Amino acid sequence: MDTGGSVVSMRAEEPSFHVRYRMEVSCLELALEGERLCKVGDYRAGVSFFEAAIQVGTEDLQVLSAIYSQLGNAYFHLHDYTKALEFHRHDLTLTRTIGDLLGEAKASGNLGNTLKVLGRFDEAVVCCQRHLDIARDINDKVGQARALYNFGNVYHAKGKSICWSGAEPGDFPEEVMTALRKAAEYYEANLAIVKELGDRAAQGRTYGNLGNTHYLLGNFRKAVASHEQRLLIAKEFGDRSAERRAYCNLGNAYIFLGEFEIAAEHYKRTLQLARQLKDRAVEAQACYSLGNTYTLLQDYERAIDYHLKHLIIAQDLNDRIGEGRACWSLGNAHTALGNHDQAMHFAEKHLEICKETGDRSGELTARM
Amino acid sequence: EAKSSAVASSQIFHSDGGEMEPETMEIKSVSEYFTKMHMGSVMSRQ
Repeated sequence: MDTGGSVVSMRAEEPSFHVRYRMEVSCLELALEGERLCKVGDYRAGVSFFEAAIQVGTEDLQVLSAIYSQLGNAYFHLHDYTKALEFHRHDLTLTRTIGDLLGEAKASGNLGNTLKVLGRFDEAVVCCQRHLDIARDINDKVGQARALYNFGNVYHAKGKSICWSGAEPGDFPEEVMTALRKAAEYYEANLAIVKELGDRAAQGRTYGNLGNTHYLLGNFRKAVASHEQRLLIAKEFGDRSAERRAYCNLGNAYIFLGEFEIAAEHYKRTLQLARQLKDRAVEAQACYSLGNTYTLLQDYERAIDYHLKHLIIAQDLNDRIGEGRACWSLGNAHTALGNHDQAMHFAEKHLEICKETGDRSGELTARM
Repeated sequence: EAKSSAVASSQIFHSDGGEMEPETMEIKSVSEYFTKMHMGSVMSRQ
């Protein structure tokens, strides 16, 4: 699709004022319905209306920019990042063409977020910088804060993309640590602004991601402090999903601080909230974390209880990898208790699942 | 990413380095744009 293609074709046909007026109204109505559907989370239907609006066409380039932008966001929420990229690019080209600086800043921000998800970090950084530069030029504090948050997210994702080889937090290669330190700096810069603006929701998001960054850097006390702030703000807003995330992240940090009892308490709150939110996958993860925490506490009876809960949910969800992990953990806990028959049963089950899923590493572990 | 049931110790408690907050996407709203346009025309008439 070319930017403003519909406009060009309409001009070529030179329709009467009456026809043009009807087209504008029709395009607007379709776009407004798309907007309404996206607001209630029905992105698939929203996309259909926005695409129909583009087919009808409009001569109002601000409206076209809004349609491109919302189409890009809808595809982003649908995890179709290639299409999201396409529409945010159209929006960027259009806003530059018409000299709409604020629109260009927004398009750059959205494009940066999309490029980050696609793992194209260097291009994402360029977009974040453009977003930030324009926001500074027009003295837009909110825009500056958002650009800094996006910057932090890009460097955090960049760091994580390099480091995932089973290394422990704080023990990654220097390249990873550099990216993570940059992420922390951008999050801190963002916090300075959103605190000044009194934007508690934005502070909550930043504290959450800053906590995760400190966690990966191995700064577990700082991670706890950030996640505590995130938890406080989540409670202020009654945001139970954010509250659940904070409890889970706090549990992870306390594990690395060696404070297993406190970690278990946080995982229990995660579990309660996951049940309230009816999120079975998270419920399974919380049970697994609790099983592992009680293993560290050498309370194998409780560990078995939680690993069995995890096993049941994994089976319900047809999650064979989760099932394999539960069996492996159950085998270990039963071994620790001297229940050799039970240990053998779960070890065999683990081996069977590893063979089925082609998990060579798990298979080798199971044979040991 | 290939997942294994035999996981590193760091992955026992998290699978991806902690749960991240959502991205903030910039919103360009058609309805807000028209509200502003309408307000602008009303103001200019006064």
